Amino acid sequence: MEKLFITQENLKIFVKNLKNDCDEFIAPRKENVDDIIFGDTKDNGRELSTYDGNSVTSPRSFLLPQTEPLFEIKSAKDCVLLPVEDRKKRIFYGVRPCDIKALTLMRKFFVDELADLPYKEKFENSTFIALSCDKRCSKECFCYEMDSGPYAKEGFDLQLTKIQQGYYVNIGSKKGSQIIRRQKKLFANAAPEFAKEIKNILKDFTKGIEKIDYKKLAGIIKQEKVKESVWDDIGVRCVVCSGCITLCPTCSCFSIADRLNGDKGMRMRYCDGCPYAGFTRMAGGSTPFPRHRDHIRRFFEHKLSVDVERYGTPSCVGCGRCIQTCPGNINIRKFINSVLEAQVL
Amino acid sequence: MKNQYLPLRFVIEKKVDETPDAKTFILRPHDKDVSKLRYKPGQFLILSLPGYGEAPFTFASCPDKDGKLQISVRKVGALTNALHELKEKDVIGVRGPYGNTFPLDRIKHKDLLFIAGGCGIAPLRSLIQHVFKNRKDYDEVEIIYGCRMPRDRFYKQEIKTWQNNPGTKVYLTVDEPDASWNGACGVVCALFPKIKLNPRTTMVFLCGPGVMIKFAIQDILKLGFKENSIYASLERYMKCGIGKCGHCYAKGKYVCLDGPNFSYAEMRELGIDS
Repeated sequence: MEKLFITQENLKIFVKNLKNDCDEFIAPRKENVDDIIFGDTKDNGRELSTYDGNSVTSPRSFLLPQTEPLFEIKSAKDCVLLPVEDRKKRIFYGVRPCDIKALTLMRKFFVDELADLPYKEKFENSTFIALSCDKRCSKECFCYEMDSGPYAKEGFDLQLTKIQQGYYVNIGSKKGSQIIRRQKKLFANAAPEFAKEIKNILKDFTKGIEKIDYKKLAGIIKQEKVKESVWDDIGVRCVVCSGCITLCPTCSCFSIADRLNGDKGMRMRYCDGCPYAGFTRMAGGSTPFPRHRDHIRRFFEHKLSVDVERYGTPSCVGCGRCIQTCPGNINIRKFINSVLEAQVL
Repeated sequence: MKNQYLPLRFVIEKKVDETPDAKTFILRPHDKDVSKLRYKPGQFLILSLPGYGEAPFTFASCPDKDGKLQISVRKVGALTNALHELKEKDVIGVRGPYGNTFPLDRIKHKDLLFIAGGCGIAPLRSLIQHVFKNRKDYDEVEIIYGCRMPRDRFYKQEIKTWQNNPGTKVYLTVDEPDASWNGACGVVCALFPKIKLNPRTTMVFLCGPGVMIKFAIQDILKLGFKENSIYASLERYMKCGIGKCGHCYAKGKYVCLDGPNFSYAEMRELGIDS
């Protein structure tokens, strides 16, 4: 594959040109409360071309929003519903490799398998430009251990890597090479020493850390060898704040509800998730999961065991967001380590 | 590309009172094209009532060439209460069919045992009607049906025709008898000694409250019926019907896609007993 290079100055021009070619340019931007969140910067130039850490929220919130309209209810009485289409062309810029892996898993789930049209439409009109990591995003991040960073292997259209003189550029898709072709002049061929520089960054990044044996982990969980007392502790600590499921880049669960004003209204879909007791409760009041510890257990089992069987890789990408947000100090990384260590002993 | 969440319009043709809190709705397609919703016994639909959202219901009758379908609905929440208030000729939305069917290829020329509790008779009725429609393809049929009180029994008139069907036995029981009742009392399991079918060659179908399914399976296994010949129709909260919303998920399976009909052998793999 062609290896390219772009200078910091040319990147600014590249971004400016990209903005003319989309409806929304979703990029990391510094918020007024001094953190970084993905937002539309098409018309305001607030995007950060490079940044430390990761966005508080993941790009998920643009493809599976917290709430989104599915249908316009033209007449409730006559049951006339019109699909709400979203054909906006979006470019996601500066997406971290962990979130790129999450998007790949979400694509498998929402697009490649039996397709969910509202997600598929948005996904297929989107372009993803990744920005690889040269250091840990935070002390909670464990992307390398979960095989999702510091470089994205697939799932991006373009990937930028910050090096001393500018950015090293990987092309990850046909869409990516078409974008480059249109602005060919801004790019140069990458010098061989850049590859060496990247190798050194990776060496520094991975010094002293080991990949998690996620297949072994999945097996232990599947065979129900995790001590019951571990699930008990997790259940007690969870206060059902829903922070984990709101921030997790691979959480995909939702509910559907109507908002009506007279005979007209909207059918909405909103993010939902397993920590809530009502998530599995039926209209009559009974639920197959009456104990709270089993709600969180679903979350862990799904991400660390079931998806390994389904997709060959865990759907926890090690971004660390759930750890940062949890008021009960539930820590999926410590959970993983303690489960694996208990096996060794 | 098909929008999976877009309902088809159906008209309420008839409302039938079943119990003090349940009605059967006979629905017909709003437009003339009846080919859009073809289902098999055991599957379910998602009903749409704009303003109240959506909820899953099992097809309660066997497929009909005119594209008509039936659902039996107990009043338990906002949507079902509103549905009960609708009148004949009102329009509602239906999407589907969803889920797997009963194992129709495995049951021909076999003895069949149906065990139902309360409104759990609804999904079994779609198969029972299918069996009676093609009676020569099936051997002996026994139906055990329990409910709380005599007035809580669904399909009272139709059950009488089942009782008169050759090669068919129907056993009814109630938890709380009233003055009109001179039949059996107690849980469905109390009627199991009456079963005459050969446990080695009979297919068993159960549907009812979770506790009924759990204990009925335990007792039926003791009589020698085989794990992979016992099927239960499971009830779960669900929103999408296509394995996306996550509500009915259990250990990598989705009740809406992989179920709602599971053999007991499959249920054990999923770590569920009802």
